[in-house]
Amino acid sequence: MLPVVVVHGGAGHVPRTRAEQSLSGVCSAARGGYAVLRGGGSSMDAVVEAVRILENDPHFNAGCGSVLNVRGDVEMDAIVMDGRTLSSGAVSAVRNIANPVQLARLVMDKTSHACLTAGGAQQFARSLGVPEVPQESLITEYSRMRWKKNLAPDANPVECQMGKMGTVGAVAVDREGNVACATSTGGMLNKMEGRVGDTPCIGSGGYADNQSGAVSTTGVGEAIMKVTLARLILFHMEQGQSVEAASDLGLAHMKSRVGGLGGVVTVDPQGRWAARFNSLQMAWAAGQNGTLHYGLYAGEDFTQSMDPDQDPDQGHGPPPAGVRH
Amino acid sequence: MSAVLVVHGGAWAIPNDLAQASVEGVKAAACGGFAVLKAGGSALDAVEAAVMGLEDNGVFNAGHGAALNTDGEVELDSIIMDGRTLGCGAVSSVKNIAHPVSLARAVMEKTSHVMLTDRGANLFAESIGVATVPTEALVTELERTEWKKNKTYMAGVVEDFNAQAHDTVGAVAVDRAGNVACATSTGGIRNKMVGRVGDSPVIGCGGYADNLSGAVSCTGHGESILKVTLARLILSHIEQGKSVAEASQLALQYMGDRVKGAGGAIVVSPSGQWSATFTTERMAWAAVEDGVLWYGLEPNERKKEQLSQ
Repeated sequence: MLPVVVVHGGAGHVPRTRAEQSLSGVCSAARGGYAVLRGGGSSMDAVVEAVRILENDPHFNAGCGSVLNVRGDVEMDAIVMDGRTLSSGAVSAVRNIANPVQLARLVMDKTSHACLTAGGAQQFARSLGVPEVPQESLITEYSRMRWKKNLAPDANPVECQMGKMGTVGAVAVDREGNVACATSTGGMLNKMEGRVGDTPCIGSGGYADNQSGAVSTTGVGEAIMKVTLARLILFHMEQGQSVEAASDLGLAHMKSRVGGLGGVVTVDPQGRWAARFNSLQMAWAAGQNGTLHYGLYAGEDFTQSMDPDQDPDQGHGPPPAGVRH
Repeated sequence: MSAVLVVHGGAWAIPNDLAQASVEGVKAAACGGFAVLKAGGSALDAVEAAVMGLEDNGVFNAGHGAALNTDGEVELDSIIMDGRTLGCGAVSSVKNIAHPVSLARAVMEKTSHVMLTDRGANLFAESIGVATVPTEALVTELERTEWKKNKTYMAGVVEDFNAQAHDTVGAVAVDRAGNVACATSTGGIRNKMVGRVGDSPVIGCGGYADNLSGAVSCTGHGESILKVTLARLILSHIEQGKSVAEASQLALQYMGDRVKGAGGAIVVSPSGQWSATFTTERMAWAAVEDGVLWYGLEPNERKKEQLSQ
């Protein structure tokens, strides 16, 4: 069962033209995270690697490809959490950083704090020599187009939001049974400057505890926060629910109580995993026992064997036709 | 049913020279918040009023009297939450605002977001006409002296946690309609890094409110509270049938065992049960119910005063 890594590329509605790229992106990230685990890396190393790959992929709303705020700027949020110690690191509303997930990990590893925000996070990055990147390098034509479209007086912001949420995240269990989670996002399209969503908030965007499991969430951020979705799912697991049932219970509660849709990836310390969502779609992929699992619509679980000799960073094309279960 | 309001002025080793003023401060804030409930105000109105009172009081590390960060600046965090709707508003690392709790409430009521940070929170404040105050108006002489004393954060962290000011303030209330609410506000850890966000503005950590279980406001070592999502943890114990006092003790004990953190919490349930619990040396707290003012500072201390009607 161990090790295992599960990644998501955001819950929502992926336009058909981008569905294939989203699937291929999550498959690459799962391969990358799985290669770290197979090489003896920790679950923390694996989730950071998987999320780094997704941040670098312009098809996702994190790192390069982040959505723009109302002023046309990129402000990103990220979190990592280590289930062994309950240590976490987060950054909120950070700018000009290519890989916020790595900066979040540095907050955890190199400071006595758990979260740094905005200018302070950037100051910290600078003090460690993390390179700053020009904002333009994080902006895609697609995100610029959607920002402009949403500024139009007749725009329907809710509809546009559902068009691409694309927060990315990963959970993993390593051979020692340690769990970890990581989540990263550019937030909500045309958000106010300084808006912080669920992603960097411990218990909302993610949570990891060796005694119960790890969760990374995606969806309507404000709804996820109101129910502290990641922590809620782990409470259910502490009460004896399976990864799947606990995920579904948490998502159903969020929908009925605050009317929000979303998705999660969940693992328990034994290596049981789930990728669940009540939005139309969520691109997800998992690596376990040398097999890659992936899907986009509810009920999908395609599989394909992972060649142990294959370079994990390969596979940028569409995933080969898998076996549908 | 009868309304209840509980406030805290922070859980830490409150030195003797601040003890009296801390107790007087929480008593006054509890009475001020309760007056709102008595006049028919909502739990949300009451916790905001109580926390505003504490923010104005220079004895406490929130609003006026806030701790300074490593650059000698004031950066404030606050949250407010409505247990009826799970609506929530928060600000983190905001400067030049006298009442961050009211700005947090404006985030909840006037935006589609839950949390605004740093400059964005200030831009929002400006856009809705919230007056800014100069930093110096928020800084007390004591805090400026303390900041100079341990100017480097390294000097701060080697000190015992208990010797540091961690006196976050907060309030929880239940109104006559059975709605619960919480609010928490802080200047954070003395000599913190620029941009450090603690537990206070993070939903489920510094506070949480749900009409189905109760409301909590937390204080103590922020990074430990974050690790165990203390407010949400206490309410999950209540959901499992524990009393407010048992739930608080269990969760604070767990925080001590698992991540070696000390702290405190105030809790109300929708039926009006309440508790004020802490694992630090002291926590100034006060509660009002049925015309009686309860308050304390030391472990197991519970004093009582009849309020004139």
